[in-house]
Amino acid sequence: MTRWLLLFILGVIAILMVSPLILTVFTSLKPTTELVNPPWAPPVNLTFEHYVRVWTEGGFSRYFFNTLVISTVDAVVMIVIASLAAYAMVFMEFRFKLLLQILFLIGLMIPVTAIVLPLFQIVRGFGLLNTHLGVILADLALAVSVFVFMFSSYFVGVPKALHEAARIDGATEFQIYRRVVMPIATPAVVTTALLEFLWSWNDLLLRLLLMTRDEMRTLSVGLLNFQGTMTRDVTGLSSGTVIMAIPVVLLFLFFQRHFVRGMTAGAVK
Amino acid sequence: MFPDPDSKLAQRLNPVLFLLPALTIYIVFAIYPTFSVVEYSFTDWDGISPDRNYVGLANYERLFSDKIFWAAFRNTFVWSGVIIVINVGLGLVIAAMLARVWKARLLIQTCIVLPVVISPMAVATIWRWMYQPTGAINQALEGIGLSALSTPWLGSPDTVLYALALAHSWSTIGLSVIIFLAGLQAVDEDLYEAAHVDGANVFQSFRYVTLPALRPVTAVVFILTLTQSFKVFDIVWATTQGGPIRFSEILSTYMYKRGALENQYGYGSAIGVALLVIVSIATILYMQIQQKEDR
Repeated sequence: MTRWLLLFILGVIAILMVSPLILTVFTSLKPTTELVNPPWAPPVNLTFEHYVRVWTEGGFSRYFFNTLVISTVDAVVMIVIASLAAYAMVFMEFRFKLLLQILFLIGLMIPVTAIVLPLFQIVRGFGLLNTHLGVILADLALAVSVFVFMFSSYFVGVPKALHEAARIDGATEFQIYRRVVMPIATPAVVTTALLEFLWSWNDLLLRLLLMTRDEMRTLSVGLLNFQGTMTRDVTGLSSGTVIMAIPVVLLFLFFQRHFVRGMTAGAVK
Repeated sequence: MFPDPDSKLAQRLNPVLFLLPALTIYIVFAIYPTFSVVEYSFTDWDGISPDRNYVGLANYERLFSDKIFWAAFRNTFVWSGVIIVINVGLGLVIAAMLARVWKARLLIQTCIVLPVVISPMAVATIWRWMYQPTGAINQALEGIGLSALSTPWLGSPDTVLYALALAHSWSTIGLSVIIFLAGLQAVDEDLYEAAHVDGANVFQSFRYVTLPALRPVTAVVFILTLTQSFKVFDIVWATTQGGPIRFSEILSTYMYKRGALENQYGYGSAIGVALLVIVSIATILYMQIQQKEDR
């Protein structure tokens, strides 16, 4: 009896949680004439005209492309640089190791929000304003410590004997990294890729500062701008929102287990 | 590219080669700006002109007498308080209920966690639309006969901060639920059995078994929610930009306005330093609690 009551309450909560998303999808598919109906009324005559309009006239194809490039490069490069650094931290002996550990630890504490003003100046100093590269470098720097720790915690689990055996066989450190250690760390690779892609895809503040030219904008800035100029264009706004949400929602549904594990591990950021 | 693995040179060089890419990017674009923000905060720089003068603690003196800063400071704490109550309190209850249910568990969990991956910008757009005077929330209130409660949620000084906090909680509570669920899996099933045998009902076993067992996890979620909510910028900026007037101004939006929009780099940086200090303290607490738990 109580089990059924619990299930009922949870069902209501689940519906409440997804309803804002469903209402947004409904609105994005409604012909303008149906906007007088309440938001929870499903569209009667489905139309994709708002998507087409936002995608072409609204410039969302451009924003989508920019976002996809930045997020993908972010994810791939992050895997490489974070795993290399973590490998050195776990398997190599060198001076100043403790200092580096503390340095990476500091990175977990820095709130991006607090340092955006000097960050803007540095990116400008390198002449990287309005470039993909500028945003990518900033993204990588601000999240790399999270993933160095994530990879380290996987590498620590690799038996030292395995590493030693490969060394005795004459393998270089890079060969051991590439052929022995990385294959074992596949879960960390997947988690890093997903999480970094997600953070990069969703960020607004950095992109708002570093991308001022329209053709360089990402979806987050594009949507903000669209909202500022087309305040009453409810269907356009909801289509834009759905366009921005669909890739990450799909990724989440396919890789839910990895996401859940990664989000708890990378939660500090 | 890599010298003979056994040579002394290789042993020296390898760590450098492996660490260089990450460390260069990290120091230039994360560590250096962190020191810079502190340095800027002692200057009167406008962010553009070549000359900047050191003005000592002038920016901090101004900070302490700036009514808007204190309003933003208070708002940030109120905002975080509301989010903590929802994410920790409700998050715990939802997780405890989920742990007792087997049917449709994954489906329910998916629905609750899904908003976590939605961009704060998209969250802002969705809720801004729902909170409109004729939006979904007010229409729903009318529909269930509570039209007396309907109000322009984001336009009214009394509701704007709470309404935005609710929207933020909607998009982050899934994370709390996941962490609580992981903690609940570690709770001994036998304890529930024993409580059941002793005649405890659902609420009693929640009160006397679940709550005490989850105390460390609760601390983790508490501090985590605190640090996360202090850092928020996107959702407030994309809905109200701190308005109406200053009623939803938080530290990050105020810093952005002064620093990036009004070119008061020195003063904006002082606000940034305040934010840095608060978040660092909270994060250190978080890491200490988590370490204690790991042991």
